[in-house]
Amino acid sequence: MRIWKKKWSTPVLVYLTAALLMAYASFRLPHLLPGDFVTAMYAGSDVTLNAEQEAELRAFYQNTDGFQGYLRNLATLDWGYSHAFMAPVSQLFLQALPWTLLLMGTAHVLSTLLGFVLGVEAAWRRGSLLEKAGVGIMTVLEGIPEICSGVLLLLVFALSFGWFPAAGAQMAYADHTFGQWLADVVHHLTLPLATLILAYLPGNFLLARAGMVMVLESWFVLTARAKGLPPVRVRYAHAARNALLPMVTRFGLRFAFMITGALVVETIFSYPGLGTLLFNAIAMRDLPLVQGIVLFSSIMVLVVNLGMEYVYHLLDPRVGHAS
Amino acid sequence: MHTAAFTKKMLQNSLAGLKEKFFQVGNHGLAAMVLAVVFMVIHICVPGTALGSEIRIADSKGDWGYPNPFRHYPRGPGYVRMSWVFDTLVWKDKNGYIPALADTWSYDPNTKAFAFTLNPRAKWHDGRPLTAADVVFTIAYFKQHPYRWISTHALDRAEAVDDHTVVIYLAGPYAPFLSDIGGAMPVLPEHIWETVTDPFVFDDPSAFIGSGPYMFKDFNKTRGTYLFEAFPDYYQGVPKKERLVYVRSGKPMMSLITGQVDLANIRPDMAKPLREKELAVIENECGWNKKIMINHKKPPFDNPVFRRALAYAINRQEIIDKAHRGFATPASYGLLSIDHDMYNPDTPRYPWNPQKAENMIASFGWAKGPDGFFHKHGQVLEIELISSNLTVAGDRVADRDGEIIKKQLTDIGIRVHLRNQEQTTTDSRVKNWDFDLAISGHGGIAGDPRILSEMISPVYGAGSVNSARFDDSPELNRLLEAQMVEMDPARRKQIVFKIQELYADQMPAISLYYPDTMAAFNQDNGVTWFYTRGGISKGIPIPQNKMSLIR
Repeated sequence: MRIWKKKWSTPVLVYLTAALLMAYASFRLPHLLPGDFVTAMYAGSDVTLNAEQEAELRAFYQNTDGFQGYLRNLATLDWGYSHAFMAPVSQLFLQALPWTLLLMGTAHVLSTLLGFVLGVEAAWRRGSLLEKAGVGIMTVLEGIPEICSGVLLLLVFALSFGWFPAAGAQMAYADHTFGQWLADVVHHLTLPLATLILAYLPGNFLLARAGMVMVLESWFVLTARAKGLPPVRVRYAHAARNALLPMVTRFGLRFAFMITGALVVETIFSYPGLGTLLFNAIAMRDLPLVQGIVLFSSIMVLVVNLGMEYVYHLLDPRVGHAS
Repeated sequence: MHTAAFTKKMLQNSLAGLKEKFFQVGNHGLAAMVLAVVFMVIHICVPGTALGSEIRIADSKGDWGYPNPFRHYPRGPGYVRMSWVFDTLVWKDKNGYIPALADTWSYDPNTKAFAFTLNPRAKWHDGRPLTAADVVFTIAYFKQHPYRWISTHALDRAEAVDDHTVVIYLAGPYAPFLSDIGGAMPVLPEHIWETVTDPFVFDDPSAFIGSGPYMFKDFNKTRGTYLFEAFPDYYQGVPKKERLVYVRSGKPMMSLITGQVDLANIRPDMAKPLREKELAVIENECGWNKKIMINHKKPPFDNPVFRRALAYAINRQEIIDKAHRGFATPASYGLLSIDHDMYNPDTPRYPWNPQKAENMIASFGWAKGPDGFFHKHGQVLEIELISSNLTVAGDRVADRDGEIIKKQLTDIGIRVHLRNQEQTTTDSRVKNWDFDLAISGHGGIAGDPRILSEMISPVYGAGSVNSARFDDSPELNRLLEAQMVEMDPARRKQIVFKIQELYADQMPAISLYYPDTMAAFNQDNGVTWFYTRGGISKGIPIPQNKMSLIR
C-alpha cells in the first residue's frame, strides 16, 4: 500500500494540478479571440442591428459566472450551452466524437500496425532494393502535407473517377438497412482515411525501421538466430519488441492530438467530427462550445500520457526499474 | 442515374482487373474474401445515390440553425431553410411579388393600413385552418419577442376583420413594408405559440408546425444536414418532390458533378464545363458587392477629397480581369445595384486616373519623396489594408483583390501594409474603428432600398460590420430617413436617386464590383431553379426559392 502511494500518489497529484490548469486555460483562452458571437453571427447584411438591439443581444450572451461558476458546472457534468446550436455542448460533443474516433482511431491503428510491420520487414531486408525503394517512397510521402494529398485524392477518386463521395460521413437520410448503412459509412470513410494513412504511415514506417536496424545488430538477436529459431520469431518476439517503445510514444502523442489532427482532413471532406465542430465554433465565436472541445482535448492529452506510463511498464520492465 | 451507372461500371471494370491479378499470384482464399466484401460494399452503396422523389442541396457550411423564426441563424441560408416550413403573407418569384398566404392586398394611405385577404385553403401542418387571428397573434408575439429579421416598430396593431381578412395598421408610414414584413414575416400558429413564454428555448416538435410546403423532420447539428417532407395539404398544391434534403459539402460543386446533390452554387469559370455535362446553369442579377470600408473618422480618410482620390487610384477593371478572370461587373459608386429599379444612372463615377489621384493627395501638402512615396512633416503616407476572403452566399475565395489594390495604391505613392485576417477578427476591428481600409462585402443591394439606410447610416446600421455608419452629411441623413417613410414609389425613387448621388460624392465606402453569381442544377428531375428578382425575401441572393418546387 505504501509502495503504491509512493509510486502513484505523486503523479496523480501532478495530473490533477495539470487538469485544473488546463480547465483554466480552456476557459480563459477562447475569451482572448477578437470579436464575439454577436459580431460573428450578425456580420451579414440580412439582419442589420441598431445600437440598442446589439447591446441587448450582447448582454444576453454575456457569461457572468466566471471561472468558479464554470468549474462548478463542470463538476455537475454541465459543459455549458452552445450559443449557435442552442443545444448542450455535451450533446454536440457526443454526436461528433464517434466520427472522429472512427476516422482518427482507424487511421492511427492501421498506420501504426502497418508501419510497424513494414518497418520491421524492411529492416530485416536491409540493403535490398525493396528496402531502399520503401525508404525512398516513404520519405517523399512524409513530406506531403494532408491538405495536398487530401485534395489530390478528392480530385482523382471523387471528381474524375466518381468512385467515392466528395463529402460527409454517410448519405444523409437514406433508407438503408444496417448492412447498407455500414457499407455506406465505409464508402464515405475511404478517402479521408486514405489521406490520413498516407500522412501517418511514413513516420511509423521510418521509426520502426530505424529502431529495428539498431536492435538487429545486438548480440541477443544473433544468439536467437544462432539457436535456430524461425526468422519470424526472431524478428517479432525477440527484436521488434525492443523497437516498440518509440512507436507507442508516437501512437500516444498522435492520439492525444486527435482533434487538432483531424481539423484539416475533416474540413476537406466535410467529415462531421470534432475538428469540423471546433472549426465552426471558432469561426462563430461560440465560446462555450470552443471551451468544451478544448478542455476535452487537453484532458485527453493527460489521460493518454497517464495511460502510456502504464503501457511502458507493461512493455518494457526496465522502465520501472529506472524509476 | 447516369453518374451512378457510370461509377458502377468503372468500378467493376477496374476491380475485375484487380481480381485477375490477385488470382494470378495464387489462389488466395483471403484475397477472394476481401474482393467479395468490396464488391458487396460497392453493390450495396452505389445505387443509393439515385432517388427520384427527392431533392438534395449542398452548401459548404451546413448548419444554419433550426428552421423556425427563433432558432435559425440570422443569415440568408438560415432564413431560406425556415421558409420551406413557414409561409409569409406575400412572396416573390422571378418577376416580383406573388400571393402566398394572402391572395390579395391593398394599402389605404388615409388609415395607413394594409389589408390582406387570406387564402381560405391555407392550413397548418397539424391540419388546423390558418386564419386572420394567427396573423394578428404573430404580430403581437413578435412585438413581445423580437424576431430580428423584421422590425415590428413600424407596426401599430393588426385586426382580424373576419376569418380570412386582416388589416395591419402602421405606426407611421413605412416604405419597406411589403418587402420586410409582408414578404418576410413568417406567420406563426396561435394555438401553439400562445402558451410559449420563452421562444428561444422552445424546441418541442410543435415549434416547427408552419403552413409552408414542407414539414420539418430533422436537423443534424454536427453533420449539418436537414430533412424536410412535403406537406400534402399545402394550399398552393402538392409539392413536386416528397423529400427535401440539405447536406454539407466542403466542395458543393464536386458533390453536384458526382451526382450526390441536385443544386449547388458554382464558380463562374465552371459554367461552361458544367453545361457540357448537361447541368443547367443559372446566373443571378448583380445583388452582392465587394467594397472597401474606410475609417472615415480618422485622418486623412476623414476628408472626402482624400476618399475620392482613393477611388480614382483604384482600377476596378484590373481587379476584375486579374483576380476574377473577368467574371465580375464594376459596381455603382452609389451602393444600390445597377440592376435595381431605383438605380440612378447619373451617379458620380470615378474612372481610373492615377495622375488625378496623385494631384488630389498633393493638394493636402503631401509631397513625393525620393523613395516614390508621399511625405509630409517627415512622415510617410502609409496605411493598412485588411483583405478578405468573403464572397457571395457565405462562401469563401482566396483573396487577390488586396494584392492588386495594394499595388495600385503603391503606384501612386501610398505605402500599403496588407493584412489578411480571419473574418471575425477583421469584422470586430472594423466595428471598433480600429482600421484604415478593409475589404468587405455584402448583399441586399438589389432588394428594398432600405439597405441604403442600413449600410450608410449609424442610426440604422450601428450594429452592422458592413455599415459605413457615416453621419457627416446632414442632407444625406435627412434623405436616408425620408426614403424609409415615403409610401409613394415614384417619390421614393427620386429620394433614392439623390441618396446615391450624395453617397457617391461623399464616398464613405467604395463599392468595387459585383462578382458573377451562378448556380447549377440537375435538370433530369423536373425542377427548374431560379434566382429571385431582388433576392428571396429581404434580398437573399441564393436560388432556393420554394416556388421552384410548387409550380
